[in-house]
Amino acid sequence: MIEKDLIIIGGGPAGLKASKSALEAGAKVLIIERNPELGGQLIKQTHKFFGSEKQYAKTRGFNIAYILISELAPFKERLEIELDTTVVGLYKDYVVTTLKNEIYQKYHAKAIIVATGASEKVLAFENNDLPGIYGAGAVQTLMNLYGVLPGKEVVMIGSGNIGLIVSYQLMQAGVKVKAIIEAAPTIGGYKVHASKISRLGVPILTSTTIKKAYGTDQLEKVEIISLDDNWQEIAGSNKIIDADTLCVSVGLSPMHQLLSMAEIKMVCINELGGMVPSISAIHETSMKNVFVCGDVVGIEEASSAMVEGALTGLIAAERIGYTHPEFNELKNDYSIQLDALRSGPFGKKSRIGLDRLKVSEHA
Amino acid sequence: MRVKRHPIIEAKEQSEIRFFYNEEEVIGYQGDTIASALHALGFKVLSRSIQEHRARGFYCAIGNCGSCHMIVNNVPNVKTCITKLEPGMVVMTQKDLGKII
Repeated sequence: MIEKDLIIIGGGPAGLKASKSALEAGAKVLIIERNPELGGQLIKQTHKFFGSEKQYAKTRGFNIAYILISELAPFKERLEIELDTTVVGLYKDYVVTTLKNEIYQKYHAKAIIVATGASEKVLAFENNDLPGIYGAGAVQTLMNLYGVLPGKEVVMIGSGNIGLIVSYQLMQAGVKVKAIIEAAPTIGGYKVHASKISRLGVPILTSTTIKKAYGTDQLEKVEIISLDDNWQEIAGSNKIIDADTLCVSVGLSPMHQLLSMAEIKMVCINELGGMVPSISAIHETSMKNVFVCGDVVGIEEASSAMVEGALTGLIAAERIGYTHPEFNELKNDYSIQLDALRSGPFGKKSRIGLDRLKVSEHA
Repeated sequence: MRVKRHPIIEAKEQSEIRFFYNEEEVIGYQGDTIASALHALGFKVLSRSIQEHRARGFYCAIGNCGSCHMIVNNVPNVKTCITKLEPGMVVMTQKDLGKII
């Protein structure tokens, strides 16, 4: 058993910011990351971020990852990073177990921050398991991180921001996007993204869903169908589109498995993406000294994940005896930033979800 | 197929990595994962489902879903989407649950 102060599970935007905060406060930190590099999903995001300057607005996602990683450099004496390492267990007695190159390791921590992020949802339709059908984020990883094209002709399911942004990035990489289909009667994402795509001649078909995929061992065709006002299929409105790639962008689910394993209290809140841990105002779960931040506690943008991370790192460090000299000022500032990010019409879903989460804590 | 020209991402000259896919010698590039190298070569089928033997490719590309499992250097259930390609790797299509060595 290896003893640690603070273990942070996940080196994405939330985990990295949490690390920085905790390190600034004086804590010793171990980051455990499953992937070969830090940065989470930022490393594949070639678009510029929205928001305000404090959350790196107008900076491209992969550059933000670079900044967040660089910010940890001054603390390297107190920071340990395990890459290519999967956390396989989180237990009630603060034991974290990992697997790296077939080697199993046990850690014990005074405090733990779970920043595991989210996974892409799947959609049920006939032949949805054919190779050539991917999560939209998977295609973004493939082309932006590894420089590999997913195929020649793509159909995108879902017109939320991820669906719209990945469609645009597919075009930037030289792939033909044949259509974006959306089951709802209106486009889900920001108008600025949708307009950019429409101007390039890609149809965004609302009230339309996928009926079936066709192909032998890999995708060849996609059958789509229109929906009426009651979300029922309109008979005879089927259309076949030739495509070797289908991207599914129908939302994300928080990666709650480790929390569930430790029997931490969970609640199901649709607005936050599904199963999320019940938390206090300081992002502490039902298990004392286990904190959460980022998409694992509700699907939002990376901007809010970073601020949540900064806040949680500050608090977790304080809990184990490392109080940042400007603790109160910083805590207050992060809370204000989060409120600002969640204001406006696009933050409505988060606000409703988080209100329900608050109620669950007192129940 | 690889991205040829891109308005944002700078192309980097990468060195070749030779490896084996189902006993055939093939080429990937430095920085590739096993799955990205195979995809670039046009191999989208990574495994077969256990009951129905349906073709399986990757779905998430970040190590979540387990749809990219292959046998790598005799070890089954390797997540090929997050495993970096190394010279001489022997990569095989997985068709069963995999045996614990």
